[in-house]
Amino acid sequence: MSLLEIEELTRSFGGLVAVDNLSFEVEEGEIVGLIGPNGSGKTTVFNCVMGTYAVTSGRVRFDGEDVTDGDTHEVVNLGLARVSQESNPIDAFPVAGNIKLFALPNSFLLCAMPDSILARLTDDEGPGVREHAERVGLGDKLETTPDSLAHADVRRLEIAKALATEPEMLLLDEPFAGMNQEEIRELSEQIEGFRDAGMTMIVVDHNMRGLMQLVDRVIVIASGQKLAEGPPAEIVEDDAVQEAYLAGEQGGI
Amino acid sequence: MRRRSAFVRLTRRTKALLRRALLPVWNALRLVLGPVDRVLQPLANGYNRSLGRHFGEMTGLQFGILALGFGGIATVPFWSPLFPDMSLNSTLALAAIWAIFAMSWDIQSGYTGYISFGHSVLSGAAAYTIGLLLLHHDPSMGPALTIPLGVLAALVMGLVIAVPALRLRGPYFSLITLVGVLLFTNLVFAFSEWTQGELGINRPIDPFTYEPWLRYYYMVIPMFLIAIGLTYVARSNVGMVLVAIRENETAVSDAGLDPTKFKVSSFVLSSIPMGIGGSLLVYFRGGPVSPSNVVELQNSIEMIAIAVVGGMGSIVGPLFGAFLLFFLEEELLREFFEESSIRTLVLWLLVLGVLVFARNGVFRVLWHGLGAVGGDEE
Repeated sequence: MSLLEIEELTRSFGGLVAVDNLSFEVEEGEIVGLIGPNGSGKTTVFNCVMGTYAVTSGRVRFDGEDVTDGDTHEVVNLGLARVSQESNPIDAFPVAGNIKLFALPNSFLLCAMPDSILARLTDDEGPGVREHAERVGLGDKLETTPDSLAHADVRRLEIAKALATEPEMLLLDEPFAGMNQEEIRELSEQIEGFRDAGMTMIVVDHNMRGLMQLVDRVIVIASGQKLAEGPPAEIVEDDAVQEAYLAGEQGGI
Repeated sequence: MRRRSAFVRLTRRTKALLRRALLPVWNALRLVLGPVDRVLQPLANGYNRSLGRHFGEMTGLQFGILALGFGGIATVPFWSPLFPDMSLNSTLALAAIWAIFAMSWDIQSGYTGYISFGHSVLSGAAAYTIGLLLLHHDPSMGPALTIPLGVLAALVMGLVIAVPALRLRGPYFSLITLVGVLLFTNLVFAFSEWTQGELGINRPIDPFTYEPWLRYYYMVIPMFLIAIGLTYVARSNVGMVLVAIRENETAVSDAGLDPTKFKVSSFVLSSIPMGIGGSLLVYFRGGPVSPSNVVELQNSIEMIAIAVVGGMGSIVGPLFGAFLLFFLEEELLREFFEESSIRTLVLWLLVLGVLVFARNGVFRVLWHGLGAVGGDEE
């Protein structure tokens, strides 16, 4: 059984079909690259999986459970986490608070307990806020507020938040956007580290350059439909993919 | 650059002007208060090491002003005879009840940003429950029985409003609470042969005691206990989630937390002290439980005004806000304007002034000012 199964997913906005009868599966431990030109429906797929949008038709299953109509928080608690394209930190809290929010249990009563009792009640042996921050290199910025962080650090914070929900699977939406070469290399290494720790991932990007080394398999979509699927080396050679990108004025992948 | 409206420019310029004009005053104050801050620091450190973990750390001056404020409130009957022209015991006892209302409103609306315009429905449910019990059931029922039932009624009312209303995002919640007040008020009128309508349930209700100073403590001790409880909740992870709902509800969902559950819980939590406050109000006033006394919209708006003046999202701010506004309305402004409606006009102008110039409340400004005395900059 695959960890994530997307079955004939369709989502339309009025007359526009953003995702069109799309099906694919992701196996446990895999890193899948989901690529396509701007506006091809990549983010909409994530929004449907996470319960941000209701699907028009089709099913989404995670770990055998149907999450098609689930609320975002339910999907997250099943073990799926997303790093959005837009950073979404709360400036009123420092880095530590932003991460801590994502580690809290979904219970009013448990949240009212002091941290020491909470840790005992939930039997939480997992990594703490500091460890999550350190995994993405924010260990020395715990008390900084997000509005005074550099762009790359804000992106790292988004990843640390997602990790704090202790997911089995991570959806990364354009994680490299706006980063320089050095930062991209660093983040790629961290993502590979997550894979080594057993994390399943889908990485969305609109070009393949950064993904070639990283992913096991690539799914290309255009206008919401699946165009091609296969190992990265094959995909670069695919004529249909080349054409979709040239038509989308992306200037090749 | 974005062009700002004339009003925004005017308030900014006024603020800048005020800041410049007050700078020498501020510097002089710092000169005087600096040593006080250092003297009080060891006391504050003692507090920080023990209770500070749960209720937040503070500087020497902050500790001093808080101790002075709480000490002043706790000892009103001892110093009120120094002002024989004023009826401070009863004015400030009433302020304590409204402090309970404003704090309860704050833990829900101030923290989550879902503004309730109808919190008086909760206190009204408790007050009317007590009134109706005494009127129709058994006039000899004592507060030990009626108050728990009143609080229970407020709790049920809280659930009835919160569950449907808080599933909605945005302004609909506020509108539903507003309609809730109007519904309650009109229900009282519609069943007036049972509720005695506009005049209210006007049967003598024995207050806890006829001793004014003791009656003050019957109001202030529950207020302090509620303040401690709500401050604890606000400082816990619950408070963090509620603030996160206000700042960014999407992030709360992404964190695997159900925003609706936390919003409903905070509303229901807030309805418990609202019920206690509503019950205390009945026994303090000793008479009529009427729409204008406990339910009507004016009551809800006054709770909001108190919380805004004191500082939304801080619990302790609304507490002091209640004492400040009641002192102004019932004592200080009465000296100048007596019963004329200019008195309340001045009060509402003050609320407007706070909204425009110190949105975070007067006590937050004071608090941060005092905290900055020991620091390097303003």
